[in-house]
Amino acid sequence: MAVTLEALTNLDVGFDRRKDPSSAATVIKVCDLVKTYRDGTEANRGISLNIRPGEICAIVGPNGAGKTTFLRQLTTELRPTSGSIEVMGIDVVANPACAKSLMGITPQEAGLFDRITVREHFEYFARFKHLSKDAAHSASAELMLELGLMAESKKLVRSLSGGQRRRILIGLALLGRPPLLVLDEPTTGLDPATRRRVWQVIRNAVTDGATVLLSTHYMEEAERLSDRIGIISEGRLIAYGSLEELLTQLNRSYRLSYRDRSGEPRVRFCESFAAAQRCVERELLSEYSIARASLEDVYFRLTGAVFEKDETSPTL
Amino acid sequence: MNRFNDIAGVFRIQVASLRSEIGPFLLAAIVFPSAMYLFANAVSGPEASRNRLRFLAGSIVFSLSLTSISWLGYLLLENRFTGRLKLFATLPIAPSSYVFGVLIFALAQAALGVTTVMLVARAFGAQMRPNLLLLIAVVFLTILSLCGLGVIIAARARSFSEGSLLTDTLGAGLVLLAPIYYPPEVMPRALRMFVQLLPTSFAARALQTTLAGGNAISIELVALSVGAFATLALAFHLMKWREE
Repeated sequence: MAVTLEALTNLDVGFDRRKDPSSAATVIKVCDLVKTYRDGTEANRGISLNIRPGEICAIVGPNGAGKTTFLRQLTTELRPTSGSIEVMGIDVVANPACAKSLMGITPQEAGLFDRITVREHFEYFARFKHLSKDAAHSASAELMLELGLMAESKKLVRSLSGGQRRRILIGLALLGRPPLLVLDEPTTGLDPATRRRVWQVIRNAVTDGATVLLSTHYMEEAERLSDRIGIISEGRLIAYGSLEELLTQLNRSYRLSYRDRSGEPRVRFCESFAAAQRCVERELLSEYSIARASLEDVYFRLTGAVFEKDETSPTL
Repeated sequence: MNRFNDIAGVFRIQVASLRSEIGPFLLAAIVFPSAMYLFANAVSGPEASRNRLRFLAGSIVFSLSLTSISWLGYLLLENRFTGRLKLFATLPIAPSSYVFGVLIFALAQAALGVTTVMLVARAFGAQMRPNLLLLIAVVFLTILSLCGLGVIIAARARSFSEGSLLTDTLGAGLVLLAPIYYPPEVMPRALRMFVQLLPTSFAARALQTTLAGGNAISIELVALSVGAFATLALAFHLMKWREE
């Protein structure tokens, strides 16, 4: 009890000044996390990061980079080989149940009970989060409404689409309004409109005081939703910061997209907007666009995807 | 209080899931064992009246085995291999609460199955004077031993098909091997000692004695208790939320 109160006190302090980068309070503190499987595979190789209260942090990376392994360790599902993880001051390895009581978790591959209804899912799982019967009922109704599931509330889960099931899983994580949400690819398989609805639900949770850590394959999602982004590649956190901070890692932060004389689409990265314009004039380009570089550009650069070496040798 | 709430929650989910699968459950827990009772009576000819309580005890064990190992094992495997167990693992509940919730569900099913099979047998001529307390104790311990096996298989199986095959084989095999529908003397000598040690054999002997109004089942109760303790201890040990 004392540990939990202390943790909540830390959260409150941090939440009040969550936009202050010098804030000492952290919701998640990961130090030198290593996970080596029995077959010798090194899934995480010394990941360290802090997440401040009220932040949305997105973890991106190629398939097999170690994102899910990282989240599974954080959510106590997988024991780390070495390193430490604290959630609001609680050691998740030593005290998993207490740590989980502070988290709402959406695993990547969790399944629902096909033969019970949507409403029953919400109400039963709300009771596991120790809500009273009445509170479980109202919390369930509120979340089903927020996630656009009210029309399906009496349907058995087996009759629902994959996207609807995914929304239920997200809703179950939100039950009880936990201070930390850990969502492993929450919007995978959702159509664009539903994805935006889920983003709004996540933003609402943050407005209510939650901190969010999510993994995603969608660069747009990471860009538009998160305060900070971590890029994991080959088990290492190779970049971590706000979008602006990550973009500064690109020396050439303007993207010139165009078609060459044979009609092939090409991309070049330039140091400035003026440099891109000079390139357009020099090459006599007629069909082109100039834009700021994006997270996707940083991602490809840092994860080792083929990338131009200089302004005159476009390869992407 | 929270623990009780968690166990009740697991139980509620299992019961709610059962609603739309009541048919297969009734088949395994009631229809098939009752049919076996009638079948055994029919094929034993003039000996039937002397053997009715043995056949009834056998059919009760059959019902318990099918519901505890085959059916429950199947549900647990399904929870594990469809990611539902992972959903429980995200919650701040102990793995033992999950196992207890499942055990209570199994006991509720057993109560329904045993009562119905006994009523069917009574309707078809079985004369019984059961000692209710002893009967409940035997059924309870049998369920625990057999559920323990179901949980162990569900926790250790490498795939759904492997686990499903094991629960089906064990659920039926433990009944067929035990001298339930036939006297132990007809077994090959090499197998006789082995089959006497099966939990289903102890359960069938204890049930037969209890249904006849006897109470000399202390050896069987001890054996079933040891079996229940051993299998459940292993089941609780294997049921973990966290992987290494």
